[in-house]
Amino acid sequence: MVAKCQVISLCRSLLRAGRKYPDYNIREYTKQRTLDGFRMNGNLTDQSKVNEVYAEGKEQLEVVERVLKVYLAYPPKTKNIMELNVQ
Amino acid sequence: MASMAAASTSLQARPRQMVTAVKCFSQGSRSNLSFTLRPLPTRLSVSCAAKPETVDKVCEVVKKQLSLKEGDQVTAATKFAELGADSLDTVEIVMGLEEAFDIEMEEDKAQAIETVEEAAELIEEILKAKA
Repeated sequence: MVAKCQVISLCRSLLRAGRKYPDYNIREYTKQRTLDGFRMNGNLTDQSKVNEVYAEGKEQLEVVERVLKVYLAYPPKTKNIMELNVQ
Repeated sequence: MASMAAASTSLQARPRQMVTAVKCFSQGSRSNLSFTLRPLPTRLSVSCAAKPETVDKVCEVVKKQLSLKEGDQVTAATKFAELGADSLDTVEIVMGLEEAFDIEMEEDKAQAIETVEEAAELIEEILKAKA
């Protein structure tokens, strides 16, 4: 049985993990994808379905953390143009 | 019987008291009833323990996250739910605040945030602990 607070804390962990990426693209993508994913499945009433998507979310969290290690090994040399505050 | 007598006496006593009171009012001139009105100082209706700059910054982040129009009121006591934010929006707002203030909030404290004031107070607590 997955409680609401567990779902919220999973969302928070995913967002926190996604923030650490040095690459702008992946950073924005993880943030947008987690929010979209949680919003899409936000109105589920069937408890077994909720458990299913919660398990999926947990797997994705592991993936994010694993890939983060790879990206940290090869950080981009230049900043992405979206990150520069060009007037 | 004794109780009835006692009750009757008390009943008699009360109207007498009332009459005297009424007499006093009708008799009294302005001076008897004079009382000075103290002008109440205008106070803030919400006593907030956080600094106003922090609260303002929090309001800015909230407005941007929830895409509120300029006219919408966001004060210290505003609950995020009142502004139409669900729990996911609250998580987003808290993340935005963490980035704006460059801090890390603990899970259970962050989950308890419901109003702008609570967020500002928690932020100040963390900033103080960091300094």
